[in-house]
Amino acid sequence: MAKHLGDRGRRVLVLEAGTRTLDTWPGHLDAMNTYYAALAKVPNSPYRANAAAPSPDVLDLQGLPEGGYRATGYFLQNGALPYASDYQRATGGTALHWMGLVPRMHPDDFTVRSAYGYGRDWPLGYADLEPHYRVAEHALGAAGDAAEQSDAIGLPFPPGYDYPMRRIPRSHLDHLLATRLDGTTIRETPDAPETTLRVVTTPHARNSTPNPHYDGGRGYRPAGAAGLPNYGERCVGNASCTPICPVQAKYTPLKTQATWSRRVTLVTHAVVSRVLADRNGRVLGVEYQRYDDPAAPGHTTATAEADIVVLAAHAIENARLLLVSGLANSSDQVGRNLLDHPMLLTWGLLDRPTGPFRGPGSTSGFEGFRTGPARRARAPFRIEIGNWGWSWSAGSPGSDVARLLGIPGDTGAPRPPGVFGTRLRETLGRDVGRQFSLQFALEQDAESRNRVTVDPAHRDRLGNPRPVLTYDLSDHVKRGMVAAKAVSDHLFRLLGADDRTAYAPGPFAPGWFRFDDRDYVFQGAGHAGGTHVMGDAPATSVVDPWQRCWDHPNLYAVGCGSMPSMGTANPSLTMAALALRSCEQIDRDLRELRRPAVVRLPEGQP
Amino acid sequence: MTATPAPSTLAEPPFRVPRDRADLQLFLQAALTLEHLTIPPYLTAMYSVRAGTNRPAFYAIRGIVLEEMLHMTLVANLLNAVDGDPLVANSQFVMDYPALLPFSRDKVPIALRHFGVDALETFLYIERPEYVAEPPGHPSVGEDDGWTSVGQFYATIREGVLRLTAELGEHELFRGDPARQVGPRDFYNSGGEVFAVTGLDSALKALRAIAEQGEGVSRTVYDSDDQLFGETRQPAHYFRFDEIRRQRAYGPHDTPASGPTGPAVDVGWREVHPIDPAAKVAHYPPGSAVRRAAERFNQVYARLLCVLESAFTGDPAAIRTTVPTMLELRDLAERLCRNPHPDPAKAALGLYASPTYEVTEAHFERAREDARLRA
Repeated sequence: MAKHLGDRGRRVLVLEAGTRTLDTWPGHLDAMNTYYAALAKVPNSPYRANAAAPSPDVLDLQGLPEGGYRATGYFLQNGALPYASDYQRATGGTALHWMGLVPRMHPDDFTVRSAYGYGRDWPLGYADLEPHYRVAEHALGAAGDAAEQSDAIGLPFPPGYDYPMRRIPRSHLDHLLATRLDGTTIRETPDAPETTLRVVTTPHARNSTPNPHYDGGRGYRPAGAAGLPNYGERCVGNASCTPICPVQAKYTPLKTQATWSRRVTLVTHAVVSRVLADRNGRVLGVEYQRYDDPAAPGHTTATAEADIVVLAAHAIENARLLLVSGLANSSDQVGRNLLDHPMLLTWGLLDRPTGPFRGPGSTSGFEGFRTGPARRARAPFRIEIGNWGWSWSAGSPGSDVARLLGIPGDTGAPRPPGVFGTRLRETLGRDVGRQFSLQFALEQDAESRNRVTVDPAHRDRLGNPRPVLTYDLSDHVKRGMVAAKAVSDHLFRLLGADDRTAYAPGPFAPGWFRFDDRDYVFQGAGHAGGTHVMGDAPATSVVDPWQRCWDHPNLYAVGCGSMPSMGTANPSLTMAALALRSCEQIDRDLRELRRPAVVRLPEGQP
Repeated sequence: MTATPAPSTLAEPPFRVPRDRADLQLFLQAALTLEHLTIPPYLTAMYSVRAGTNRPAFYAIRGIVLEEMLHMTLVANLLNAVDGDPLVANSQFVMDYPALLPFSRDKVPIALRHFGVDALETFLYIERPEYVAEPPGHPSVGEDDGWTSVGQFYATIREGVLRLTAELGEHELFRGDPARQVGPRDFYNSGGEVFAVTGLDSALKALRAIAEQGEGVSRTVYDSDDQLFGETRQPAHYFRFDEIRRQRAYGPHDTPASGPTGPAVDVGWREVHPIDPAAKVAHYPPGSAVRRAAERFNQVYARLLCVLESAFTGDPAAIRTTVPTMLELRDLAERLCRNPHPDPAKAALGLYASPTYEVTEAHFERAREDARLRA
């Protein structure tokens, strides 16, 4: 938004809570070293902790031996199940560690209430967003195959449109699965309709081969690394997209920031503490806290005034800011409807090498379960084919080495004898090389009980109340997981794979629960949403279809927090499309502020 | 130290403007060999840096060596465009080091050296922007002067391309099969961009990119990546090496005459694995791990050039598969450079092992045989 508004001649002040070391090459290399040294390669592992602007971490959650969880760290959690995702407060934000997948939402994702009887409808549809999807695909540098997306999923594209770059090549595993499964039909239950399996390449915001036919034959120039010229113009398959792409072939907002016009001013080390508004609802600006040293206590407070204020701090931080400011909440919906894509992972061994730990984390998926009549009864899902073995599901390959050495991580029991030397290497090569996993991303429906609140008794070091999260999964989502597991069982059988999926309570399974007498463990996808929900009426939603707060004509809350449902696609592209759409309205708002009056004499005077 | 053998020399084409197609092809094949000549010394310096140190230098050399690979590919495209065959998979293509820089007045040997002042002085000599003599036949140039600089050699190729275009017509001169051109769809990941050469304009653009990425746009320190490719401009190769040598960056207003006045560049001259510039595989004891890695390196290098030759002679998409091969070479080079020289006397001098780039016909035959077996 800063880029688009700045390019249109608007002056933009960007207040960033975190630091901005990462947009320099030495800062990037420091993050790489931090990542290399980290014991657990979790999404926030490359990025240094910042006490002034703390970030949640997936390591803050620990499962208990009999089920249940313990939460430490920045979030306070009191829900039946834990909210299991993190984010990052630094220049570049959470998209520093995103996977970089940019599928479009399915047209049905916008009407889940009216068409399928659950969750909340969007106040706009696919057709409203379509032109903005194209702009977002240009801005993020998307690599994909529009014909395949249209044919396999039914996504409408304008005639002749294709992505800026060619699709990211399929992994060896994708090819194996396509050979064995494409065209096969399965039923998730004996009386369910048939679904035809097809491996479909996923669009990525990752540099691949530019498409010479893009933009009417003008082609596309990939954007390289921030901080080092002429670097990162192609993905080279480093296989650490989450948490950090070593060559920066993956899109991060740092690339866009490098192209900001001079009218955009970035101020870092500036934690916005509240939004200021008058009694008529007009927002005047924000109060923010400036700190110098992230490790030392001490800050000063300043204010910034603006014609229009845009909150773009992440779904949970946006809600927290509105709550502590006492604004935008006449609907009592601020902080409610907290969403994620609860993930169910399944994993096993194929009968031959799968080529794991090469290339992006997922290059293809099965898209046939994203919509259809079954959606009425259970949550729909997208299936990602996981290219990194059991890294997410079981901590491979580190955990495999530890297990073979006789030092498993989750038990205090005496160590079994280990395997060493040549035998260790051979065993690892044989087993790790056949690993594969499936990642089922379930659409979560909006529920007002899932919410962010604040408790003045729990504050961060700058005195800002920390987010208190109350989270659970609906039976609709849990039934989706039952279906996902049934589909996984079918797929493993068809593949002749050795299924190693196991769900049990324990320290690494804070997301364990029982449903219909079976165990499940879910993970967070890092897709927070819903907390300043968008709607078509002020009584029931926080923002209007332009992401403008109903209660405050010049306050915008943008991001996934506006989404009324998580849909069946990774949300970042849709978030970007919504933001670009909001820019149009902001431009109109700003023009409106300077509308000239026509001066005339009163009627009847000469 | 081992007695230094006489440096090897590249067979230079005759001192004249190319007269016909065959002549131009001969010149371009020599240019291809010349572009490759710089790659082993640059890689040797890069991989001798201790891991995690000398990062500005590492990334500068890395960027430059990738641009040399671009130049090789652009020369190959030009040679294909004029209906020639770029040949890289033979033992004459890989020079013995030390080698003399061809087309130059001064006889400066180029050796495989670790990162340091000596290596950088050589690199600066290779990339030096200097007064370029006119092509042969110009009134200011004597008939027997001989080649005086790489710049003059490229200016001569440019003159030949222009004359032959006038003589044969653009369509006839550039009659090569366009399907042989390596393009942006095939892999590239650094300054500039691989583009197809299909006529006079793209041929001249390729020659310009090669000259200006190396030596800079006349009287400036910068290359022309911004004008040619819409990319960020960078100091040209000579000036990027100069920044490391002088431990200071060029600023936006600096000129070749002013020298660099920008911020200091952090260089750790001791943060390297010193190597013996005269190292040969035969110096490593048979059966030792270092010997095996050195032999393997030469074998994999032969495989790399075989793939490259098939990419340049009909299968451009094959160039993608050079990437894992180059990573394999990186790992072998690092393995060598991080092991002490097996000769105790050399190890006592603090020297480490290194790749030797002794790629023989036997290596190429074996690489071709392996490829046949895989297919």
